[in-house]
Amino acid sequence: MELTQGKALSTVERLYQDYGFRARELKGQGEKIIGYVCSFVPLELIKASGAIPFRIRGNIFEPITKGDTLLETIVCPYYRSCFDLSVKDKYEFLSGVVIPHGCDSMVRSFSTWSYGLPYSYFHFVNIPTVCEESSFEFFEEELNTFRKSLEKFFGKTITDEELSRVIRIYNENREKVRALYELRKADPPLISGTELTMTLTAGSSLPIEEANDLFDQVVAEVKARGSSPLKKGPRILIDGACLDHIELIKLVEDLGGHVVADAICNGARDHFPKTDVTLPPIKALSQRYLDKVNCPKTYRANKAGTFEGDIANRFGDIGAYAKEFKAEGAILYVYKYCDPFGFEVPARKAYYQSLNLPMLHLEDIYSAGTMGQLRTRIQAFLEMIG
Amino acid sequence: MAEEQKEAKPKKRMTATKAAASIGPMVKEFITGTLQARAEGKQKLAYTFIVCHHEEIFRAMDVVPIWTENFAGICGAKRDAERFLQRAESLGLSRSLCTYALCGIGFDQWREELGQMPPDAPWGGMVKPDFMISSGQILCDPRSKWYQASQQFMPDVPIYNIDLPYPLFQRDQDHREVLGYYHRYIVKQLRGLVAFLEEQTKKKMDYDRLRELVDLSDRTWNLIEETYDLRKAIPCPMGTGDAMNTMVPINFMMATQKAYDFFVELKKELEEKIARGEGEVENEKYRLMWGGGLPSWFALTDFNYFNSKGASFPVETTYRMVAPLKEMDLPETKDPIEHLAWRWLGYWTFWYDKARKRPGSEPDVERLINRIEEYKIDGVVMHEAFSCRTWHVGLIWQLHQLAKIYKPIPVYVVGKDGKKEKVYRELPSLILESDIIDITSYSEVDTRNKIDAFIETLESIRMNRAA
Amino acid sequence: MTKVVILKEEIIASVVGPTGPEQRRLANKVMEETLRKASLSFPQITYIVSTGYGRINVPFSDRQVTEVTCHARGIVHLFSGARTIIDIGGQDSKGIKIDASGKVVDFVMNDKCAAGSGRFIEVIADTLGIPLDQVGALSLQSSHPVKISNICTIWAQQEVVSSLAEGVPVADLLAGIHYSLADRIVRMVSRLRVEDLVILTGGGAKNKGLIKALSEQLNRSVLVPPNPLITGALGAALIGKEMVEKARKNKTPIETRERVFKEVEIL
Repeated sequence: MELTQGKALSTVERLYQDYGFRARELKGQGEKIIGYVCSFVPLELIKASGAIPFRIRGNIFEPITKGDTLLETIVCPYYRSCFDLSVKDKYEFLSGVVIPHGCDSMVRSFSTWSYGLPYSYFHFVNIPTVCEESSFEFFEEELNTFRKSLEKFFGKTITDEELSRVIRIYNENREKVRALYELRKADPPLISGTELTMTLTAGSSLPIEEANDLFDQVVAEVKARGSSPLKKGPRILIDGACLDHIELIKLVEDLGGHVVADAICNGARDHFPKTDVTLPPIKALSQRYLDKVNCPKTYRANKAGTFEGDIANRFGDIGAYAKEFKAEGAILYVYKYCDPFGFEVPARKAYYQSLNLPMLHLEDIYSAGTMGQLRTRIQAFLEMIG
Repeated sequence: MAEEQKEAKPKKRMTATKAAASIGPMVKEFITGTLQARAEGKQKLAYTFIVCHHEEIFRAMDVVPIWTENFAGICGAKRDAERFLQRAESLGLSRSLCTYALCGIGFDQWREELGQMPPDAPWGGMVKPDFMISSGQILCDPRSKWYQASQQFMPDVPIYNIDLPYPLFQRDQDHREVLGYYHRYIVKQLRGLVAFLEEQTKKKMDYDRLRELVDLSDRTWNLIEETYDLRKAIPCPMGTGDAMNTMVPINFMMATQKAYDFFVELKKELEEKIARGEGEVENEKYRLMWGGGLPSWFALTDFNYFNSKGASFPVETTYRMVAPLKEMDLPETKDPIEHLAWRWLGYWTFWYDKARKRPGSEPDVERLINRIEEYKIDGVVMHEAFSCRTWHVGLIWQLHQLAKIYKPIPVYVVGKDGKKEKVYRELPSLILESDIIDITSYSEVDTRNKIDAFIETLESIRMNRAA
Repeated sequence: MTKVVILKEEIIASVVGPTGPEQRRLANKVMEETLRKASLSFPQITYIVSTGYGRINVPFSDRQVTEVTCHARGIVHLFSGARTIIDIGGQDSKGIKIDASGKVVDFVMNDKCAAGSGRFIEVIADTLGIPLDQVGALSLQSSHPVKISNICTIWAQQEVVSSLAEGVPVADLLAGIHYSLADRIVRMVSRLRVEDLVILTGGGAKNKGLIKALSEQLNRSVLVPPNPLITGALGAALIGKEMVEKARKNKTPIETRERVFKEVEIL
């Protein structure tokens, strides 16, 4: 890679490599850190309670060992890795963990997490499966239950004012992520996909204010490059669940492609949707997390009455990203045992066909050991579209 | 297309009860019934899932349910699922996903491509529905993804997805605090289903009839409890092998008189067997609990294998989708929909209070402990089906936790000083690994070796106890 | 196996040699042999494209291209109407879909499991003590192919041993093994929606039993190139040739590596 790394990107790399070191420092200074998994956890509530949300990550280089003695291997491999690191005490600085109803792997293993790990706070947020008037009402109640549970644990009332203030800070964060994504639009992009995903992953380990500062610095540093030092190559969109490591993206970029857009949890799915500040805070959060986070776990009724219309509605955001970032190919990266994404593979495939966008479907198991097998497929795909 | 041959016909499992033996024809009858209803065209047919507490609504509206999980199970039991699974795979669906759903989607795609049933479809096949009622639950992701995936091949068939959550057990939280809004939501969801069915059938719901049906299934729930409680007898008159048959009226025929009558008969039969001192196995040596996981439908004869070693299964946690209503303390209501919603919540939170009282316990663990005591269980057998996270994640942990908090069986061993000492041992357990319908995941030799080793463990414990 | 094709207008020379743990050294040896056969010196080779699993281990290659692209290029050169390619090698198997203009539009691969590759038949042939080049013909003598129920190579091997002990004829066992492999490959390839012409290439294409099993299960006739082992190398050579022609036309420089055989020490 011919990209220069300034101070901001060096910080990013350190936060990425030694994931959690800043949280550990803050814990030492008396802060409370609350871990979470999945894009469905309303971080604004955690933040408004005075704690710092911290996204629990997996590690594809770390073989899953201790985790497998407590959790079945038929669980999503990414989630197994997160659990494995947690039981191995990699996140010992956490005071608690919040798990949402993101998928069966999360739901069915909640007891294993909450009894198997030594934290004093656990909470499960139930996310409805549909988007309707009644489900928003329900979700608002569920968010209030979460709020009360945090209030009880931290002994602090979460006021609407505080919540509204925090919502604005998070919205700023989403704008800054947008600014990072803007840097992808040049051809070749000014920022590599590897740098961007590393930045977002680093950000998810920081207090939101620090993440905001860091993102600003990265944007400034990358902008200072003026023109891209990279060689032109096929522009790729990555679609799938949570990709909290850079290895797959790095592989694409080592082979001459550029990852310029995504529809992944640790990317656009999580960071693009903003919260409506004109609504009462809980109502606004319920709409953001239930409706705007576009995850296959949420059932969206077929309003079109046709298959083509249905996929256009369900995956329209992906098509919009592909257009906005001028993607020339897509990689649909799905974990083995992932029911929500797995069942959508034929429909997503049809959707990419309708966009005339070549797509490569990869099924993987969240392990560095499979990167060699992926290499040939990705290279062949790049040759195919290049 | 890939080789579309059937596997060799499986051996029939021997049943202990006449009632269980009558199930096969019963299932065949309701599958034939769906084919007939489609031919006659008078009733609407709907794909749907078990354990949604909506059977009463279906029956009251005269909608014929097509239990898609059941059909996949039949394909599995007939060892004829592979060709449908392969179809699904060729569409790009991973074999690691729910194989019931893969089998169903593969079947649907094939039927729609042909415009008729796939060749030699098991029991005449699964008919194209008029609509599909899926269910997003806290139970199972594939339930809201399966029909959506099938709809690609029949876009003219509408889906209505009902959301039926229940509060997950949280140690530091009283679930009663949230039941109110859960109930309000479920009621709205079920009313939404009624409205959808009214629109589809062009009929109005007859709430008196609904009330009667709800009453009928409530009575059936209680009757099932009383019937299954009889299996506490020593020797046990009916095992889990049979219960994998008698799950049919519980799960596919609820809110019908036939289901009620079935349990009247079964109860009578069990009472007679108990009076005669007749057990599932001739010389009952070990009493085992099927403590988790759906069975491998193609290998139900494994239960006979257990039986041949003197092991009986008086109780299981699987498919016993009822709980004693009288112990639930459900709020009184005249509105049958409201009642269904309370019953739903009552069922899922049934073990919560008990679990909260025992340190380290949790509802699934608590249920195991209670059943171990009530049914005098010597060992626990579980099955981990690779394709289903819903019922098969958390089992290892449950056994860990069980061993940690529950050591009820005293064993006397000779201590260092030569005196007998009383120690508490863990309950032996066995986890079998395979799948619900994917036979390629199964090895009879390995399974039976595991069973043999487990029986040896039970035997050595028995000898110790006798000493 | 390591294959080399030297191309001018047509193929000047081709050699199929062994591959071992010392991939680089063997690549050198096979290259040297091909040069000898073509009566060329190494520096006379304008451009070298390497492909396949060992593509990154060829020290003198100017460019690395995957076997998907190379096989497609080689096959289209031989069969202009090809739409579906099935490549069955010793390490992996793949399916490639080609459009009317000869461009790759989709592909599927299996490189995770020996049971989906030619390795499956190699292991069984070895178990039965029959030379690999005879198993295909032998399997054609079967009148009642056996159903092999185990999917994993290791288990299938045991199954074959115990069936043999039970007196099942070898031909029936081999036919069963061929059907079993063909079944897995057809399942994988059917994701591409198979269209005619279907071309089978790679080592598997030399096996008549496999050709029969595949075409029966695909319900189509399957064509085989005259020398199926070298279609990937041929494709690589064709791609190299095109790149040079294009560079010459555009007057852009051609970057190549030094044409020497470096002693490679591995271990």
